[in-house]
Amino acid sequence: MELSSVEEGTPSVNITTSEKVVELLNQAALMPTDEKLTILKQVQELIINKDPSLLDNFLDEIIAFQTDKSIEVRKFVIGFIEEACKRDNELLVRLIANLNMLLKDESVNVVKKAILTLTQLYKVTLQWLVRVKTISDMQEACWNLVTQMTGDVLILLDSENDGVRTHAIKFTESLIITLSPRTAESDVPKQQEGGISLDRVPKDHSYIRYDTLCEEGKTALEKLLTFMIHPAISSINLTTALGSLATIARRRPMFMSKVVQAFETLHANLPPTLAKSQVSSVRKNLKLQLLAVLKHPCSLEFQGQISTLLLDLGMPQSEITRCTPTPREQRKRPR
Amino acid sequence: MPSHPLRVAVVCSSNQNRSMEAHNILSKRGFDVRSFGTGSHVKLPGPSPDKPNVYDFKTTYEQMYNDLVRKDKELYTQNGILHMLDRNKRIKTKPERFQLCKDKFDLVVTCEERVYDQVLEDLNSREQETLQPVHVINVDIQDNHEEATLGAFLICELCQCIQHTDDMENEIDELVQEFEEKSNRPFLHTVCFY
Repeated sequence: MELSSVEEGTPSVNITTSEKVVELLNQAALMPTDEKLTILKQVQELIINKDPSLLDNFLDEIIAFQTDKSIEVRKFVIGFIEEACKRDNELLVRLIANLNMLLKDESVNVVKKAILTLTQLYKVTLQWLVRVKTISDMQEACWNLVTQMTGDVLILLDSENDGVRTHAIKFTESLIITLSPRTAESDVPKQQEGGISLDRVPKDHSYIRYDTLCEEGKTALEKLLTFMIHPAISSINLTTALGSLATIARRRPMFMSKVVQAFETLHANLPPTLAKSQVSSVRKNLKLQLLAVLKHPCSLEFQGQISTLLLDLGMPQSEITRCTPTPREQRKRPR
Repeated sequence: MPSHPLRVAVVCSSNQNRSMEAHNILSKRGFDVRSFGTGSHVKLPGPSPDKPNVYDFKTTYEQMYNDLVRKDKELYTQNGILHMLDRNKRIKTKPERFQLCKDKFDLVVTCEERVYDQVLEDLNSREQETLQPVHVINVDIQDNHEEATLGAFLICELCQCIQHTDDMENEIDELVQEFEEKSNRPFLHTVCFY
């Protein structure tokens, strides 16, 4: 750049990130939805990733958009709550009530996004609260609200909306896995290696009760099993539940017996409401999920049941044998 | 209407004929669409059924075109392969393998059951992170030019109907069934999670 142009043009002042955020937020207030979202995403990047020290300052300004009339903007706020709480766990005590409001939004798309975020933040909250050294009423209130929200999502398994139910199933799956102990036989996805599960919850915590969590996890599993045998379940919800149960069996082999039994019951009593091609889709899915369970080293005592089901579903014996782990690969089941 | 444009993937075996025909039509209708193959290699018909032309997914449509012109221009002009490759290279540079793509979609449409199985196998083997749902629908389409065109119109109509639902997830089950009756062919339909 030539010197003359600098002299003639406006002085190039380096504005601070904070000033930039103020400027963007002012712009966002007046913009139509699409541009507003672009600007809010920029703000999120600046205050969560570029300079997290600003997060606290601008929290209220961003959260104010939770009443925006655009569904996409409200969904953005939910995503922001998730990222902010993951970045700074302390913010959970301030933001969880906002997530609770959005969980009751009039738009199902907002509710679904809120369920996805609660699925993540449930684990974040539990992990944070069992680690944190100080105890405060605010934290306890935060946990109580998370527990209440958990109950609300489990009720959504009976929602009138198919998509909301699908999201509630995935939440329930995650809850069951979190609220049961990880054992040596558990499949552990790479990203979950450091994650929270019941075995990492201390038994002497002042307000998070190990036994209560354990019961909540078992109750959630019973709810999911009951949900799956509802005669009017949709094929997509059934598919989702099948996948969830197979995941639970692999990650918590202590529940494998219940899962295999549920698969057997389902195979014998497919919902009468399914159309012919939906039956094909569900049977194909059942086959896929049974195979996933069969491949787990703890499947030994269920191999007879699983093989029978797979044969019934049209899988050749040679293929079943190929997917069955040899006894050498079997690990001891926990007592 | 869904809150954002439907992100669609159309998938066949080699990302040449059926998925590219659908890609072409869907992108002309303004969809956010990508296309893929699930095979380990890209196969094109050769001088006889047991002598297909086999390429890897790194080979561009242009390179395949030039290779076939060199091998037997008349044969590959007459059977329409050069014409197809010429169309493909106007859409994108080279075929893409579904299993290597980490982008997220709302809807994946496959063109035969074997491809549907491979897509499910791949999606189920991935580690679930966001739990965002993706619907996978199979529409059987024979692998020839005429069927690819008819199939592409059917896929396009299906996507348009899904795009115009008020609440896709609540209505897709019923919609797929309506399409099944209308087109008189069985669809497979499932949901996976990212």
